[in-house]
Amino acid sequence: MSGSLAARDLSVRYETPHGSVYALRHVDIEAHPGEVIGIVGESGCGKSTLVTALANLLPANARIDGSISYNGVDLAKLDAHRQRLLRGDEIALVSQDPMTAFNPVLTIGDQLVDFQHHRKDLGRAQKRARIAAMLGRVGIADAERRMDCYPHELSGGMRQRVAIAAALLTDPGLLIADEPTTALDVTMEAQIIHLLRELRREYNGIVIVVSHHLGVIAELCDRVYVMYAGEVVEDGEVDAIFHDARHPYTQALLACDPARFQERLDRLPTIPGSLPNLTQPPSGCVYAPRCDRAFAPCGSVVPPRVKLSASHIARCHAVTP
Amino acid sequence: MSPLLAIDDLSVTFARSGLLSRLINPFPLPSFNVIDGVTLSLMPGETLGLVGESGSGKTTLARTILGLVRAAAGRIVFEGRDVQTTADFRAMRRRSAMMFQDPVASLSPRLRIGTLLTEPQVIQGLPMPDRRAAAKALLALVGLPASFVDRFPHELSGGQARRVGVARALAMKPHLLLADEPTAGLDVSVQGDVLNLIGELKRELGFAAMIVTHNLAMIRHVSDRLAIMYLGRLVETGPTQDVFSEPMHPYTATLIQSEPIPDPRRRSQNPAVTGEIPSVFRRPSGCEFHTRCPIARDRCKTEAPTYRPMGADRMVRCHFPLVTGGQEREAFSRASANQKGKLT
Repeated sequence: MSGSLAARDLSVRYETPHGSVYALRHVDIEAHPGEVIGIVGESGCGKSTLVTALANLLPANARIDGSISYNGVDLAKLDAHRQRLLRGDEIALVSQDPMTAFNPVLTIGDQLVDFQHHRKDLGRAQKRARIAAMLGRVGIADAERRMDCYPHELSGGMRQRVAIAAALLTDPGLLIADEPTTALDVTMEAQIIHLLRELRREYNGIVIVVSHHLGVIAELCDRVYVMYAGEVVEDGEVDAIFHDARHPYTQALLACDPARFQERLDRLPTIPGSLPNLTQPPSGCVYAPRCDRAFAPCGSVVPPRVKLSASHIARCHAVTP
Repeated sequence: MSPLLAIDDLSVTFARSGLLSRLINPFPLPSFNVIDGVTLSLMPGETLGLVGESGSGKTTLARTILGLVRAAAGRIVFEGRDVQTTADFRAMRRRSAMMFQDPVASLSPRLRIGTLLTEPQVIQGLPMPDRRAAAKALLALVGLPASFVDRFPHELSGGQARRVGVARALAMKPHLLLADEPTAGLDVSVQGDVLNLIGELKRELGFAAMIVTHNLAMIRHVSDRLAIMYLGRLVETGPTQDVFSEPMHPYTATLIQSEPIPDPRRRSQNPAVTGEIPSVFRRPSGCEFHTRCPIARDRCKTEAPTYRPMGADRMVRCHFPLVTGGQEREAFSRASANQKGKLT
């Protein structure tokens, strides 16, 4: 089973002793089966809060406004038990650090059997057979023997492959990969990117890739959401974002990536200024204090959603269609 | 001009010699060369990028240069003088500085920034009439407000902590700065800030720098020369531009190809290499890269290549270097079938 995912006007704030932190504000996200969605932004942009909200794993001090619907069902209205069933069955998460994702004192095989606990129709032997097949699919040679390994006996790249296999075992409709290659070396990163791209040919659910690395997003995604300080500032097809970015923040972020320049630069481009304090988010455009194109309304009026094409939207006063 | 720092045939050995392992296994195991025969030099004012993946020994090499790890063999010559004894290293550390990888962890959480910045002078026993003023001058040097002297490390952002790290490293006016992953964990918009700062101060103060990193996209813009490490050995050195435009060692070419390009129109087709980095505990025979090299031949499996000069200021450790127009380069492009258009 796989269905579409939609977040409408989603806001998340954390209640802390120092006041509310408005970590996510008025975010609209849409994803359809078979799509790979990229969420890109720097630290503090709210990308982790967003995916944690989608996976329904926010901490107790988080308050959610707006709606998240998956396959037509509003996730917020489900009771805890139904939410849990959905997480195990439909939503899977591949986390950044493959070492901490596993229990160090159980073998890989035992843990992957446990991950299938909701499959009451399968016996242990059948579950192990599924694991072996899945490990083979993610490129682990000698899967039967690897199942008896403990997590520390595998290299970082191998562990990330096992984490992807674990996520796919539940046959999820929504696979969230949070910084899937950040902890890996570049040659291993290339292999995991290749693996994810291969897998999507046979997998027809939604994949959400969260990364701060523009290269990873460009390699993997169909559509991209660019986030800054808790808001989506621009979204569109991957080609439009990388070749026709219109929001000043997207343009600045792309310009900062040293991987875009083949010739040596004497000064690397930067974005001057710092993130706004999210306990008191600015009333106008959130990027205005750092924007070189800011003018009168940016400081006080929330920027409009400017539709640049059927799928390309920028939230900025200075952008015209 | 004589080099500021010359390393000759340096090796570092980590022995597996814990009490427990000796009890379990009475036969002593062979020790492992974590750094093996590294020869490298750094000219005054030069920036060298030391590049490698995790486990390649790049951090160990930087630590060995400053005497934080003991070398098993080889020579280190700093400013024309042999560095061997603890006293030699102590004297050398007065004119060199290290920026450690984790900027917040390398600042003691209970000391204020002002104290942390002036610690090097205190440790080296240098006279300092006004400690506060000295700290403020250092903060000004790296573009931080003077009010930071009273802050604690946890009150700083990642980029600010990095700046404090730069200020502290430069407190002794070193001739050599060793920076271990100076941009790890920083956002792209901030990483340029730190690198620009190091570049500016380098021009102003004239120190030489060795930047240890795995980030090729970044090092391309800040280094004059590159040294590529694999399993504790240098596989290639040369001027940065030349290494990027014409990588001669298949490993270097692989690293450059593996870097994802932020352009959806130039997606990679196939990973250039497969497999994992072998462990130094089980160093492959012959050329250590042969297990993953797309153009390895029989000779590579048995005979270790020598580290030999290839053209002006280039050194390569490979039997079949990828020379432009040569058949090895063609074979490499074919084998990796990578259509990024980076290697032509």
